[in-house]
Amino acid sequence: MEPHFSSEVIELEDSLEAVNAYFLERRWADGLPIVPPTPERVVAMLRGVRGEPDEVLGKIPPAWHEATLEKLAINAVMAGCLPEYFPVIVAAVEALLDPAFNLYGVQATTHPVAPLLIVNGPIATAIGMNAGAGAFGPGWRPNATIGRAIRLILVNLGGAWPGAGDMATQGQPSKYTYCIAENEAESPWAPLHVEWGLEPTQSAVTLFGGENPHNVNDHVSQTAAGILTVIADTMATLGSNVKWYFNQSQVLVALGPEHAATIAASGFGKAEVKAFLWEHARLPFGKLKLGGMWGIHDWPDWMNATADDGALLPIVPSPEEIFVIVAGGPGKHSAVIPNCTFSRAVTRPITRLPA
Amino acid sequence: MPAAVVATTVFRELAVQAAEALGTASLPLLVIEHPLGGEPPERVALKAEQALRQLDAALKG
Repeated sequence: MEPHFSSEVIELEDSLEAVNAYFLERRWADGLPIVPPTPERVVAMLRGVRGEPDEVLGKIPPAWHEATLEKLAINAVMAGCLPEYFPVIVAAVEALLDPAFNLYGVQATTHPVAPLLIVNGPIATAIGMNAGAGAFGPGWRPNATIGRAIRLILVNLGGAWPGAGDMATQGQPSKYTYCIAENEAESPWAPLHVEWGLEPTQSAVTLFGGENPHNVNDHVSQTAAGILTVIADTMATLGSNVKWYFNQSQVLVALGPEHAATIAASGFGKAEVKAFLWEHARLPFGKLKLGGMWGIHDWPDWMNATADDGALLPIVPSPEEIFVIVAGGPGKHSAVIPNCTFSRAVTRPITRLPA
Repeated sequence: MPAAVVATTVFRELAVQAAEALGTASLPLLVIEHPLGGEPPERVALKAEQALRQLDAALKG
């Protein structure tokens, strides 16, 4: 029996070239060739989750097209995903649609920002995600294609075409794909989803509206205070969005496992790491007046009352607005990822695994 | 209550797309010259006048 689709079925010449010409001319892709979403491939993708094809998860701004499981499956096929990746994509879209994430803002801002997917729990290993060397880079199909599927969903259902629905002044490479797994095996601490109250055995995805990773190179420090001082310096920069819209400023710190081990060896837990970074990632009031968003910033009264140019002001409201994960492989590098200051990180359990 | 939306020229397409998608295409759209940020007060004032003229026309429309 022919599968029934709500989406229009288009008949094209049976060649990759013809299909890609058709899709790319209509801006139904990201500029890279796609896998043709044939009915058979879409049906196979839909079998990767529990749920009906016409189930609506919500609408994707700024075009506000409905995100049905069928539409998500079509984009997942186009991105090159395997059906076993599909539960991650569905949970990620559920998180994107949480009002706290403010997807409209993330999509339409001039700021270079993209939803970073951080996958935790057993599914990351089960589907072969890379959490080690080069975690933010190329080479692993689930990392590459899950992130790409999210981008295609944001373009095709959300209308995020550069210069139209996506108003980013320059964009950023992570708008092609931005998906990692946390390196739980080499983390000295509880993983991210456990901090959010989930069980370690529960798979989950966290969405963070972030810039590209900013590198932190520290080859010499042998203490937590040493490494964290360098990270704090990378976090607090005049040109970053973080700190101007203070109440929704958040920063993600992705520690390389060697840095994490050195920090833990100093007796620091995650709470101590966050407290140290909050205390030290600061900018002097006088420097903040030099430019950036000075004058159009949104600060609480106690910060607006500052008079001393030498006063050191924090960049996020509390240590809890600094997220700490472990990612990557050997080497003395970590990364800082500022958010866009009008979007909050959201975590969702991955629950739609097929029976 | 009468309402209108202000957008700069380069954001016009985004504003129209969102308004149509949300069923508010008839909402008056006041389009002012881009950019708005990084402008001296006298140029911001000119853009405010630009918006006011369009608002006046929309309300009387």
